[in-house]
Amino acid sequence: MLLCNLISIAERVGAPRIVPTRGIPYPTGDPSLTPEAEKEWRRRLLERALEALQTVVHQPTVFQVGPATKAQPDTKAEPETKAEPETKAQEAHA
Amino acid sequence: MANIVHYINQFFAGVGGEDSAGAGPTLVAGPVGPGRRLAELLAPEHQIVATVWCGDDIASGVVPAIIDLIRSVDTDGGVDLVAAGPAFTSGRYGLACARVAAAAHDAGLRAVASMHEDNPGLDEAGTTPVVASGEVARRMAPSLDRLANAIGLLLRDEPLTAADGRIGKLARLTVMADATAAERAVDLALVRLGGDHTATEIPLPRFDQVTPAAPVEDLRTAMVALVTEGGLVPDENPGSLESARATRWLRYPIAEIDGLQAGEWRSIHGGFSTAYANEDPHRILPLDVGRQLVAEGAFGSLFGEYFVTTGNGTSVANARRFGIEWAADLRHSGARAAILTAT
Amino acid sequence: MALTRLIHHVRRVGLGQRTTFTDGELTVSTDEAQGILADAALAGVRLSWLSPGESARIVKVLDAVEPRTKGPGGGGIFPGFVGPARPQGDGETHVLRGTAVVTAGFLPRAQEALVDLSGPAAALSPLGATHNLVIEFTPAPDASWEKVDAALRTGSLRLAAWLAEAALDAEPDEIEELPSPSPVRRDRPRVGAITNLQTQGLFKDVFLYGRSFGSSLPTLLDPGELDDGAVVSGQFGHPALKNPTFMHQNHPVVNELRRRHGRDLDFAGLVICPEPVNQADKELVSAFAARVCAAAGFDAALVTKEGGGNADADMALKMDALAELGIEAVGLYAEMAGTDGTGPSIVVAPEKATAMVSTGNYDHRLQLPAVDKALGGDEFALLHIPATEAFEVPTAVVYCALSPLGWGRVTARAG
Repeated sequence: MLLCNLISIAERVGAPRIVPTRGIPYPTGDPSLTPEAEKEWRRRLLERALEALQTVVHQPTVFQVGPATKAQPDTKAEPETKAEPETKAQEAHA
Repeated sequence: MANIVHYINQFFAGVGGEDSAGAGPTLVAGPVGPGRRLAELLAPEHQIVATVWCGDDIASGVVPAIIDLIRSVDTDGGVDLVAAGPAFTSGRYGLACARVAAAAHDAGLRAVASMHEDNPGLDEAGTTPVVASGEVARRMAPSLDRLANAIGLLLRDEPLTAADGRIGKLARLTVMADATAAERAVDLALVRLGGDHTATEIPLPRFDQVTPAAPVEDLRTAMVALVTEGGLVPDENPGSLESARATRWLRYPIAEIDGLQAGEWRSIHGGFSTAYANEDPHRILPLDVGRQLVAEGAFGSLFGEYFVTTGNGTSVANARRFGIEWAADLRHSGARAAILTAT
Repeated sequence: MALTRLIHHVRRVGLGQRTTFTDGELTVSTDEAQGILADAALAGVRLSWLSPGESARIVKVLDAVEPRTKGPGGGGIFPGFVGPARPQGDGETHVLRGTAVVTAGFLPRAQEALVDLSGPAAALSPLGATHNLVIEFTPAPDASWEKVDAALRTGSLRLAAWLAEAALDAEPDEIEELPSPSPVRRDRPRVGAITNLQTQGLFKDVFLYGRSFGSSLPTLLDPGELDDGAVVSGQFGHPALKNPTFMHQNHPVVNELRRRHGRDLDFAGLVICPEPVNQADKELVSAFAARVCAAAGFDAALVTKEGGGNADADMALKMDALAELGIEAVGLYAEMAGTDGTGPSIVVAPEKATAMVSTGNYDHRLQLPAVDKALGGDEFALLHIPATEAFEVPTAVVYCALSPLGWGRVTARAG
């Protein structure tokens, strides 16, 4: 499972489970936040990553981190998937 | 007159179907099966001096023996070219054709294979020329026309291009163009504006298809590894990890620590500003939160080491090797999942 | 608006008591130059000339600058560093063609970069064909690296202006009249340039009028502003894929569009863009740039980058954003196809706009001969061996060898 910012690259090379992050230089951080808020953000990234690891995927699938709430994230939430990645892949080869 | 040896499988040699798929490599004088038509197309300039056939089940594993047979062909002036196929979409046959052609090529012979673009054996040919065949044997005639044309071009040392039906890997060779890239770019823009919507110097890349791993079944007992391409290493970079174009990866123990202190770890990645990572290494490797989540039972345990390389201008071939080595190592160590942070 | 370039060809160089330019011979006073470069962050500087054909190598190459001036004291050249930060790009600019001021030495995060003055790598770098005044330096013991970097940048720009000043009274060898791109549509296709600049913070930044360009949005720039040094490089990554100040001053795509302006095309303009470090900003900058091009009436845009795979993402987004607005996009790409040339050569390719020109394979290996002399450092850091030895390197380490701005003739072809 992949935590990265440049999800267009990740999808193109076929990474199956992707959690988008906020910047290239800090995949599991966000320097604009206070240290406490940053650690909370990192925690949400990892929790989303753990959800992704328990989810069946058939194609590059992006698991967005939802808006900040104190409630537990809904693990049933449908991940955001790319429509028809096979078709897209074929176009890319054409 | 050039001397050609033709490679085919047991079925096209007329020996039999699946019942004969285990038959070993056999040398026959002159053309056999589709080779007869191929020989007609090549005459009078070139001739098929011999045919080697082998059963599909074993052929791809006995390529050296096949090459030995080809080299044993007794002919005036020696063998000039090895042609293999057409294999259409037949996987085992395609794999054998690709490997025979590649091995002949490596042995210093001209070689060409023929198969459909979707044949799973295609990549095994490497950069040895392959021309497209039809999808099924019904397309034998046009497939042989194309193969004969390719043989002719190769024997005249002329380039074999996509226009001639060439498929598979083409090495990108470094050459000097007649004009600068800026001049060519302007030319290309005008060609495109003129209505040619496909002109380009670089064909779109083709990446591997990745089969997603099955979900982790019981995360609460699973060991999870942290891995990164963010160049995070102990401050002195004891393993001399490269800041760009990495050729290796390293492993460092984290079993005894709960967090990564600034000043003790740093990123040597040359592709982005590392000030943030050096201020708080958890921005690259989330060890602190990983430990918390283990303590809370979210997953079983963290693998006792982390793996690191630098993803900055790193070749796909090296990156693929790192991935294979990481996966094998983690599987062997009992880790069930890996979280890869990428910059 | 129009810029006049007064070109003075430098044919011989040397060091002497006074800084002079006479009959194509540039003599530099070491004392004067050291005075110009003096800064609290530098304990000392050493100046040496290296000329084409010498058995010599420069390692740890940082920035390179072509000596230029617009008048005494620089006359406004390098605005924001030497001159005040006021718009430039018209009037007259003196150019010392065939020479460069080159800084070389260790800075943190700078990737090992190499120039050979002879052998197979010489033809691959613009600095292989220029007389190079190499500035080596010793940092002051208590100076921060940021201050050392800033001192080198300002000092080398000042020195470049000062050298060109010696030619103010000389008769130019060539005079080039360079009109600004016209907003008026005529009966020729309007082709412009988009230049992406690698802006990633400290030691990896590019400056516009002396300011970091990092958090800016795309903007139209008059090409004459490039000539006058409004864009200055402080970017020391990816040696083969970087655009030093010298290349901005001599932007090959801009020069080609100028050459063909009024013949088979009209030069529609130049748009410069930062390369942000996150996806959302990359998308914003790309869409914004495409709108600027549409507003300026581009029919086609030549898109260039700076840096490696991360920069390919900016290219792809921008080219596709242009295609969506009906503007033909041509991207100049270096390929990363592996040493044998069989790997996927583009990290992120565009989906809609697929016209690409290849500036060569980053991973192609070169055998470099031993040389008599090396400047910039004793060691070639990439291989930890003496800089004067023979070694094998990827093209990626040769300064500007795969110039994203289209300087070179190196390319890769299927074969």
